[in-house]
Amino acid sequence: MTYKAIIADDEKELRTYLKKMLAEVWPQLKICGEAANGKEAVKMVDDFVPHIAFLDIRMPGLSGLDVAKKIAGACRIVFVTAFDQYAVEAFEREAVDYLVKPVTKERLQQTINRLKKQLQASAEPPRELADVITQILAGFQKNRRTDDYLQWIKTQHRNTFRLISVEEVDYFQARDKYTLVMTSDGEALIKKSIKELTRELDPQKFWQIHRGTVVQVSRIEHVGRSLTGRGILKLKNRSDTLTVSRQYMHLFKQM
Amino acid sequence: MTETQYETEFILKYWSKFRNILADGIIIGSVNTLIAFVFTFISPLKDFLVTFIMVHSLGVTISLMLLLSLWVFRPRTWARFLLIAGIDIACGVLIGLGAGMILLQQVFAIGVDWNTNNLFGQAVIAGIIISSVMLYSFIAKIRLQYRNAMLEEEKIKRLALEKETLSANLRMLQAQIEPHFLFNTLSNIISLIDTKPDKGKSMLLDLTKYLRVSLSRTLPEKTTLSQEISMIKAYLDIQKIRMAERLHYQIDVPDHLWQHVFPPMLLQPLVENAVRHGLEPKVEGGEIIIRAARENNLLKIEVADTGLGFTDFDQPNVGIANVRKRLHLLFGEKGKLVMEENQPQGVRAIIEVPIDDV
Repeated sequence: MTYKAIIADDEKELRTYLKKMLAEVWPQLKICGEAANGKEAVKMVDDFVPHIAFLDIRMPGLSGLDVAKKIAGACRIVFVTAFDQYAVEAFEREAVDYLVKPVTKERLQQTINRLKKQLQASAEPPRELADVITQILAGFQKNRRTDDYLQWIKTQHRNTFRLISVEEVDYFQARDKYTLVMTSDGEALIKKSIKELTRELDPQKFWQIHRGTVVQVSRIEHVGRSLTGRGILKLKNRSDTLTVSRQYMHLFKQM
Repeated sequence: MTETQYETEFILKYWSKFRNILADGIIIGSVNTLIAFVFTFISPLKDFLVTFIMVHSLGVTISLMLLLSLWVFRPRTWARFLLIAGIDIACGVLIGLGAGMILLQQVFAIGVDWNTNNLFGQAVIAGIIISSVMLYSFIAKIRLQYRNAMLEEEKIKRLALEKETLSANLRMLQAQIEPHFLFNTLSNIISLIDTKPDKGKSMLLDLTKYLRVSLSRTLPEKTTLSQEISMIKAYLDIQKIRMAERLHYQIDVPDHLWQHVFPPMLLQPLVENAVRHGLEPKVEGGEIIIRAARENNLLKIEVADTGLGFTDFDQPNVGIANVRKRLHLLFGEKGKLVMEENQPQGVRAIIEVPIDDV
């Protein structure tokens, strides 16, 4: 029986290379399609019903893992990756077939031998792969989003949108429902309340010091005390000062 | 070593310089002469020569004794220093007066009746007061110099430290090579060696150029714009082979700016960012345009892409954050990085640096 396979990789040269290597290692294997992105790969699996899909993990549109989730059960899958430590660890753990780029002949031979054995044992691809992929994808998301705090603030500047990194921000000041973002370059108004912002910002880096003020801690130069017991913050490279209400003075006790 | 010891060392060091001894000698001499004049008027003995010789004899003796005892004992505390100075003054006054008397009698053949009006007692008291005041003013002067020297030293140390941190930071903030990019490029080269060896060779050369700058631990603080652009071109040419028709680029730098001084690795991360977050994940791909222009005394460089835009920006972006930090370290408030939405799509990153300081 001749087996069919598709190769999905956004880099043409690498598809050609894998195809050539496969021709050497497994000359009987028929490559029925080459996909340059995830969507094409899904379509080819539907159209050609191959036995094996070689999927690059990082592809534009749908990633190799996304494709696998969609086509799990339809064919056997071999992942190809240049460098995705997390995924490789997961593949090892779950005994999923994978190849690392640059693909070596020895490694390809091993994978092919294993595939041949599996194909002879049962023509039906394992269904449980879908669950494994879902797990890996979830882990992928979690792994990537270790730092889930707000990183960029989108502001309107004349006719275009501008991105301000939260690192640039000196402090936020409430203006009714809006918030004023103060940076060394100037100020910008955003449609987000200070309450929402405090929920999204890293509490290690941004402290609320007043009902309407959130300050970036690293920007504080020193803290003084007014006669009424409230704190006065002087910020680096800024002439304006901020008031710390008594309620938040405990933050500065150790300073 | 304690602070006092430092100061004693400093005083000795100060007086070990002939220039300082000469200067202080001249001061002592002139002050002594002045005192002699004053004393000639107020003391019962209205004789200038006698007062002159006595005052000078006192001054020289006390100075020499102080110097000698400082050098020999090197006091560790101020109490000891004052004790030694006190003994010096007491002995110095007696010896100085004795020496003065002998000098007057032997050399100038002037006999003074020291017992009249208790002249000797007055001379002793006057000697102690004068030498204490002089000692105090000298120590004050030297301590002031010592403080200034310490401050200067501290300042130099601090500046050296600051400079070190700066360059350390600059080194730290260099772009980090993305392993994914590296391994994919290597795979491409391996494949091209068989199919299109010339193309593979040029890709390898581009990778070498890229790695040479990226891995360099001793990045120069300044290079030229043309050097930075040539590195960017190497990077983009690699990506061009990988992404083929999905990537187009255009570099638009006016002739007169090519040789302009520019810090390395400021532009590169922006270009990598545009490829990685803008074009690589986009199915159709797109274009990158790099433009440089001089506006008044600002050098403005823009990296515009037609990629996915801000959607991929939820992640903390190390490359961009590093560019910002580097700009800040190099130019303070004058260096700017603005990230804008490009029309109709993509991101436009604009770097602004002052032209005088570049």
